[in-house]
Formats: sequence, structure tokens, C-alpha cells
Amino acid sequence: MTRKNRVLEGIAASPGIVMGLAHVLTQEGQVSTRLLYTDHEVAEELKRFNRAVDQTEEELTRLRGEIAQDLKEHAHILELHLLILRDRMLLLETQKLIKEQNFNAERALYLAFLKIKEVFQRIGDKHIRGRIQDVEAVYRRLRGHLTGRGASKTFEFPEPVVIVARDLSPAETTHMSSSQVLGFVTERGGKTSHTAIIAHSLEIPAVVGLDSATLSIESGEEVIVNGLSGRVIVNPDEAMRRSYQVRREEFETFKWEVTLGSSLPAWTSDRHPILVLANIEQPDEVSLAQKYGADGVGLYRTEFLYLRQRQLPTEEELFQHYRQVVEAMAPREVTIRTLDIGGDKFLSPLEYAPEMNPALGLRAIRFCLKEQKIFRTQVKAILRASALGKVRVMFPLISSPRELNEARLLLESVKEELARELIPFDGKLPVGAMIEVPAAVTLADLLGREADFFSIGTNDLIQYALAIDRSNKSVADMYEPLHPAVMRMVRHVVQVSRKLGIRVAMCGEMAGDPLYIPVLLGLGVKEFSMNPNSIPVVKRVIRMTSLGEATKVARRALALATVEEVNEYVNKEMDHRFPDIFRFGRPLVANRVL
Amino acid sequence: MAITEPKLWTIERELWVENRLGLHARPVAKIATAAQQFDADITLEKDGLVVNARDLLDVLALDCPQGTRLVLRTRGPQAREAATSITSLFARKFEET
Repeated sequence: MTRKNRVLEGIAASPGIVMGLAHVLTQEGQVSTRLLYTDHEVAEELKRFNRAVDQTEEELTRLRGEIAQDLKEHAHILELHLLILRDRMLLLETQKLIKEQNFNAERALYLAFLKIKEVFQRIGDKHIRGRIQDVEAVYRRLRGHLTGRGASKTFEFPEPVVIVARDLSPAETTHMSSSQVLGFVTERGGKTSHTAIIAHSLEIPAVVGLDSATLSIESGEEVIVNGLSGRVIVNPDEAMRRSYQVRREEFETFKWEVTLGSSLPAWTSDRHPILVLANIEQPDEVSLAQKYGADGVGLYRTEFLYLRQRQLPTEEELFQHYRQVVEAMAPREVTIRTLDIGGDKFLSPLEYAPEMNPALGLRAIRFCLKEQKIFRTQVKAILRASALGKVRVMFPLISSPRELNEARLLLESVKEELARELIPFDGKLPVGAMIEVPAAVTLADLLGREADFFSIGTNDLIQYALAIDRSNKSVADMYEPLHPAVMRMVRHVVQVSRKLGIRVAMCGEMAGDPLYIPVLLGLGVKEFSMNPNSIPVVKRVIRMTSLGEATKVARRALALATVEEVNEYVNKEMDHRFPDIFRFGRPLVANRVL
Repeated sequence: MAITEPKLWTIERELWVENRLGLHARPVAKIATAAQQFDADITLEKDGLVVNARDLLDVLALDCPQGTRLVLRTRGPQAREAATSITSLFARKFEET
């Protein structure tokens, strides 16, 4: 089979480059998919489907009749299945897909089932949601009649293949191993989909979100899956294969070098020590932080316990979580950020109305100062954990010295309480302010009198400084980390903290993007906190950068008037100095699944 | 089946899900089975969402745990019988606890 080569574009979801034969799946077993071309074909397909429905109905009715009187429970289930079989959502939808989309019956039925599954996933009640099992049972029975019995259900291939599927569910991937599967290509899903997670854990490349992959790739065709660029090449020619080999080797070398250096401290090439820290959310992420060589935890987000359950977490629960992190990281430092959440986000019985504009609403420190009981509980747990290792605490969304002062006073009164109860804590626990509101930037000198350290939260700072909501697609491309306004703000905060002699760190996505590291170094940032899997690449960039050079780059970037000029200059500069950052480094970091 | 004669009244009843497990598979199957016996349009409404009581999966997907308030509407030649039948299913908690 010699077919023309084709290049398809999807979303890079798990890094790596691989070549192999495609194996196209549309569901758990191996079911053919084809389009129907004539009205006659459509009519025949509908007949075939309706026949399968009749057969399934007969089977279910027969089974119900055979059931002994004392097994009534089972009869109920079969009656339920009979009802589901004739339900609008399954029957009419499948027929509609055959008629209107010209899908063959198996595919149409599968899609109808998936749609029901999606509806059910949104159901809040656990018992009701679980009834999808019955729909699935009916679906399987019906599919059995459609395709004939004995369709294969497990994955057994003569040689490892690239799996091409509409989507992959946990059930479907449980039987897959990296010895059988070279890579994944799916139509659905994003960077955090199940496929991406599985591909990461199997350490194989994946491209997701590739529209109509199962229609445009056929089983047995040769494909190159590039999980770095999101590109899939079908039937590559000789030149494509050669460049694939080169790419693959370069990437493997890069990965090897990056991993090798991740446990070593990060010094710039002119011997300035830089701290590379981890952002974590849960205690079990500490192992990731350690695996990737973090110098500490620069941002421990603490919202998880509040969002997961309906009751507010108790002090003891919080303490146990914090203690795990602090003890595991010791003697390295852990910076805990207090609750950064809006009142409307709670699952618990707090009654706050949803806000029109939550980014500008009652959240973070504002919320905590209003709900002091919740805040005190958390602060107490943090203080208790501070007795067990090196802990720092920081308050999010500070916009005035008064807020910081109020938070500090509360902290002091909790300390007194603990002292009275003879519970140990670190009396010198450093207290930091997050700099993420433009007001905090301009007031940095005043905040610095109340704070022991700063942490610049770039995600919010950029959003507020540029008035850009990144989740709004129409303006998302205006979210520019290298905007002159942002760079000046960073420089200002660094200069103020130098004058006051306090430490300043940066957390937020910008701090973990290798592209920005040299500029930020040049602006004077010496502590970076990021998702653990960014650490190895960032450390490598730091080691290859001289602070002297970086300062020059930052100075030139600061002299430019528009963000377009800055981007052009920095991209050129980086491409010249670190060509593999664009090809491998950023894609490696961008897959922030783990 | 759709009866839209203007003279026909719509019967409207407020129903509460009182059984412990809510409208899970078996109660919904009972509703659907009952609904299919009458010549009437029968709908259930929850918070503005209206579904046909015969469509089992739609009723399941309404997501009605214990304590949910529903509005039953029946219309057609057998509207009264349908309303009585379904209301009594709810009243008897679908023979559950």
C-alpha cells in the first residue's frame, strides 16, 4: 500500500517522537468504521440496526422469562434494560446519526452511547450517575448483535503499534502497556485528558485533539507521532523518515542531558546561585518536586482541602497535610500560601452568591480577613507545621499595607494562643506578601516594611496589569508576559526589595517557562517557583546563562517600547543562544500533566 | 400521540422525591412504564428543565436525589388517569423506603 503522505495537526499532549504502524480503534473492541455513500446504503444500515435492536429485545425478553420467581431483582434489571433499549437517547440518536451523518451503525451507536455517558457524567447524585452501567450493558448487548459475537476486547498486537482512537477511557487503557503501544493519537481531549495522563505515565508520545483522526488514518498505515509539536505524519516519505530519525536522536540526547543535571544546584555560568523551587498542591506532589530536583517548595497552594469536601477542613486535617509536606521537604524551605479562593467557590455551607467578576471580587486575603474563623484555623495549622521544618507563610492578593498588617496581627494573636496552649511553632516564621496586584507593585516600599519577603505571582499580576482575562478567547492572545509594563513592574519590585534587603521570588507560569528565564534573571529575579516538571529544563537554561549577559538582554528589552518588539528581540536572542529550547525545552515543559 | 386540542386542560401536580435513594433506576423505570400506558402527554419539570416522563434516560439525567421538587404535567384524553397513577407512585415512594 503506497499512499500519499499527509501531515495532520493536533495538540501535543505527551512529549517524544515515535514512528510505527497505526492501529485505529473506534471503541473498546475492534470495530470497523466507514461512511455510507448512497441512500440505499443508509436504508440498509438502518435495517441492520433495527434488526439488531429487535434481536436484543427478544434476547432480553427471553432472559426475563427464564428467570425464576425468587430472582426478582434480576428481572427488574432486565426490564430496565428493555426500557433503555427503546429509549429515545439511544435509539433515535443512533438512527439520526446513521441518517444524517452517514455513519455506519456501530459508529453511530457508539457515539450515541458516548453522548449519554457525557450527560450522565454531569449528574451530581452518585447512585443515579452509576446507572450509566445499565446503559453500557445495553449498549454492549446491542453492539454484540450488530457485529456478531466474539469481537475481540483486549489488545493483542503482533508488534507494538500507534493507537489511533476517538478517545481513550481508563477501562480501555488498562490493558495497554508501553511494550505494545508506541504512541497515542486521539480525536478528543486536551493536555489534561485521560489519554495525556496515561501517555505520560507510560512515557510514550501522544497527540490529542486531532479532528477526525480515526477517519483520516487507516489501520496499517505508517505514522510518525510527534508529541512535542502535536504533528502526525501519515505515510512519511524517505526524507521525512530521515529527519524523523535525526529529531528523535536529538530529543533523546536533550532529555538525557536535562535529566542528568536536574539534581544539581542551578548556578549561572558566571557562578551566581539561583533557587529553583516547586509549586505544589498536594502532599503527594512532594515526591515529584524531589524527583525533579527542586530546591524547596516556593508555592504550596492550599485550596485543595477546601474544594474537595463539603465540610470545612479541621485544623488537624490541615496540619496533617502541611506536616507531610514540611517533613518530607526538610531541611529545604516550604512556602505556604494561605487560602486563595473566593467565597463562591466553596463546596461547604458558606453562603456566598456567585460573583459577576470573581477576579475582582471577595477572594484570597480579602475573604480570609472577612471569614476570620476559617483563616485562624488555617494559620494555626501552618504555625504548628512550622515547628517541624523550614516554613514560610505568604498572603495572596495583598493590595495595601493595611491588609498585610491586619493579617500579621491575626498571625500574632494565633501565636499567642499557641504559646498559651504550649504548642510548639516557629516564632520567627517569615511572613511574605504576594505581589500580584498593580497596587502592591507601586506600594512595594511600604509593603516591604511589613513583609519578610515578596513573591511575584505573575498569572494574576499580568491579568490585572494588562486587564486581560486569559480564559476569554477573544483577548487571550493579548496576555503578554513580556509586556513592557510587566517587565517594569518586575524590575521595580526587585529594586525595592534589594534596597530593603528582603528576598523576592517569582511564581506563576512565567517563572517556569524557559523562554523567559534569562530575561527574568537579567531583571534581578533569583528565585523561581514552578510546576515540578519544568524544573530540569529551567535549571539547564540557568546553567547556560551568564548573569552578566542576561542583564544586558534585559536592559535592551526594557528599552523597547512595544511588546511586539520585545517578543521579537527575545525570541531571536533565545533562538540564537538556546536553539533546542524552542524545539524541545518548551514543548517538554508545556505538557504540565504531572 | 401529541394531543393539542385547546380545550384540553393540563393537569399540574407538585411532587416531592421522598424515597431515600432518589429517582434512581427502578423508580424511573416505574414512571416510564406507567407513563407508557396512558394516552397523554406526560412531562416532569425540575428547575425549569422539562422532560418527557416516558424517556427513561432523560428522567434519570434530571438528577433527582431525595428532597427534589418536581412538577408533573399531564395533558390529553387520559391526563387525569396518568396524573393519578404517577402521583401515587411518588406517594408510595415507589415501594421503597
